[in-house]
Amino acid sequence: MLHKSFQNSAGAALLPAHGIGASATKPAISIAGLRVAFGDVPVLHGVDLAVNKGEALGIVGESGCGKSVTWRAVLGLLPKSAEIGGEARIGDLDLVGARQSVLDRVRGGRIAMIFQDPASALNPVHRIGAQITEALRLHRGLSGAAARAQACCLLDQVGIAAAASRLNAYPHELSGGQNQRVMIAIALAGRPELLIADEPTTALDATVQAQILLLLKDIQRDTGMALVMISHDLAAVAAVCDRACVMYAGQIVETAPKHTLLTAPEHPYTRDLIGAIPPSHGPRMRLTAIAGAPPQRNLPPGCAYAPRCRHAIAVCRTSRPEPRQVAARHSVRCLRLDAGTYQ
Amino acid sequence: MTLLRLNNITRRFPLGSPLYGPRKYLVAVDGVSLDVEMGRTTGIVGESGCGKSTTGRIALGLEPPDSGGVLFQGFPLPRIDSKKWRAQRRQMQLVFQDTLAALDRRMTVSALIAEPLAIHGIGDSASREQRVAELLHGVGLGEDHGRLYPHQLSGGQRQRVVLARALAPKPSLLVCDEPVSALDLSVQAQIVNLLMDLQQELGIGLLFISHDLRVVRHVSDRIVVMYLGRVVEQGRADAIIDQPAHPYTQALVSAMPRLPGGFDHYVALPGEPPSPTDRPCGCPFHPRCPLARDVCRQSLPELLPLGPERQVACHVVRH
Ligand SMILES: Nc1ncnc2c1ncn2[C@@H]1O[C@H](COP(=O)(O)OP(=O)(O)OP(=O)(O)O)[C@@H](O)[C@H]1O
Ligand SMILES: Nc1ncnc2c1ncn2[C@@H]1O[C@H](COP(=O)(O)OP(=O)(O)OP(=O)(O)O)[C@@H](O)[C@H]1O
Ligand code: SF4
Ligand code: SF4
Ligand SMILES: [Mg+2]
Ligand SMILES: [Mg+2]
Repeated sequence: MLHKSFQNSAGAALLPAHGIGASATKPAISIAGLRVAFGDVPVLHGVDLAVNKGEALGIVGESGCGKSVTWRAVLGLLPKSAEIGGEARIGDLDLVGARQSVLDRVRGGRIAMIFQDPASALNPVHRIGAQITEALRLHRGLSGAAARAQACCLLDQVGIAAAASRLNAYPHELSGGQNQRVMIAIALAGRPELLIADEPTTALDATVQAQILLLLKDIQRDTGMALVMISHDLAAVAAVCDRACVMYAGQIVETAPKHTLLTAPEHPYTRDLIGAIPPSHGPRMRLTAIAGAPPQRNLPPGCAYAPRCRHAIAVCRTSRPEPRQVAARHSVRCLRLDAGTYQ
Repeated sequence: MTLLRLNNITRRFPLGSPLYGPRKYLVAVDGVSLDVEMGRTTGIVGESGCGKSTTGRIALGLEPPDSGGVLFQGFPLPRIDSKKWRAQRRQMQLVFQDTLAALDRRMTVSALIAEPLAIHGIGDSASREQRVAELLHGVGLGEDHGRLYPHQLSGGQRQRVVLARALAPKPSLLVCDEPVSALDLSVQAQIVNLLMDLQQELGIGLLFISHDLRVVRHVSDRIVVMYLGRVVEQGRADAIIDQPAHPYTQALVSAMPRLPGGFDHYVALPGEPPSPTDRPCGCPFHPRCPLARDVCRQSLPELLPLGPERQVACHVVRH
């Protein structure tokens, strides 16, 4: 029953990266075999992932699974101690191992990134107008009145009222939600093809969180840029994204269109994650509590999820599952899929 | 039976220096009344700074209210640090979010769990050892864990230790202030299940504080919604989520992404959450409220019954 997976494991490198279906357009970024280790501790074990132009892709997974490291590696933001392997291509350019000067141009230009804590990402001693015009100067060559007018447009675009007067404000004069809007404005200054939002709303109140998520979604739709939203909150990701990847212990274990992932997940970890979310309505079922914790440092010899998986069988402890395409845009890394009986 | 009753509690903190001009105050909690029934859970939700933690500390007698009263098992809480208060403390325990700060890193897990027993003079050393083993087991930890130090545990395991410590003196009330907010979803589910099992088993009353409406709905029988220090709505948990009456509750519920619908019914609120140092007059929600009218800017709506088990503080939705 399991022979198909074993065959796959031999030819895995030849599999298309997650998400590129038969009819795929040229991706905005294509990551293949991305590995990262800090000293002798490997944290990414081969991430394959393509983000299509104009799509909103969610990345979910528990703390420490490698969501942030993936994108920091791609953008050259990891400390020197990190060893990075694999590739991350935008067009013909491979960002892994690219020179710092090349990366500096890409960051904030073709690819922009926003983080969880806007207050610490903004410079407290500069007015927000100056911070936005600086980004416009760097990435669009604008200055003076043109930059100021454009900064005003950007603030308007991210939903800050009375934009012109707000340009003179300092970050501490704004709320957390407004600062995150300013961060988004700065990110948009370079007209990125791809915006990476790493837990962009985790620090914000619920009503503000929804506002910012929907703002990101609107901007993505209006500008046609691709959006990668990193979060541990599957419900929030699902509300914004077209497609989602589930990461576990430094690998992607399942990728599918949002609706498929939520309603017909195949990987046991994805199912468990969904079962762990308290439902927002309807009867209160007992939550799925996943026993134990993700592997620290070294992966177990077989499937990384085997020690916690309720469906693990003997082979799960010895063989590594490889991603397998179960439908057009749905791929899953689990040895028991062929058996089809683990439900 | 009512285990805990907060009666019109108010708590304010002075702002700035007392030397200049008339003293200004930040009103953190303003006329809050709520009950926790024996063996049941009352949840408090609301955004950052709305006064949830302050309410929890007042409920435990850790902080005195400026006005209003706290009744525990029908009697007013004794004065803090009086002998009577210390005796009562074992009945009322606090579980909060920051587990590393809550646990002395030089003590083993077993010693940490035994400490409250010693403080309250419960049992002799042999019976304490037995009780520690029971508690470890009760929160799903093995005896091996008892020999470890807090930093050697995962976040979920540390939260279990905090819970075991709180349960050690057999309290009848637990105040849980964001007990799972720092945990990963899978671990959060472990702790939520554990808390609900323990409650079933031990009949403890819970005051469960969280900004996460999903979790609060899951664990609570009743939900209290706070906004800027005031209760704006309270009632049965399902009813509050399925048919929120107050405009703020409606916005809060709509901001909770549904699976799979997402933000399908999202109600956008204009403006930003106001600061408690700068409270709007009249209904504190009026600057953001889609239903606001003149009366809302002038007078403060009282919390009044709306149907049998629901109370709402709003001039408009009452009619
Ligand atoms: N600079 C670093 N040095 C050493 N280890 C690191 C470093 N940065 C990250 N790691 C490790 O890499 C792993 C992946 O970290 P990463 O930050 O990508 O997790 P994450 O999925 O973003 O988690 P979270 O949800 O907590 O943000 C973790 O085990 C982390 O401890
Ligand atoms: N000891 C104190 N001195 C001065 N102000 C305080 C004190 N404790 C709380 N406050 C203020 O009272 C208000 C309510 O605080 P509280 O901690 O109760 O809010 P909360 O609802 O628990 O918020 P969060 O969700 O962020 O924990 C806040 O504005 C806070 O800054
Ligand atoms: S490969 Fe085995 S252990 Fe891994 S997720 Fe699938 S069933 Fe579980
Ligand atoms: S009293 Fe007025 S402002 Fe306040 S919630 Fe009701 S309608 Fe809105
Ligand atoms: Mg991260
Ligand atoms: Mg609090």
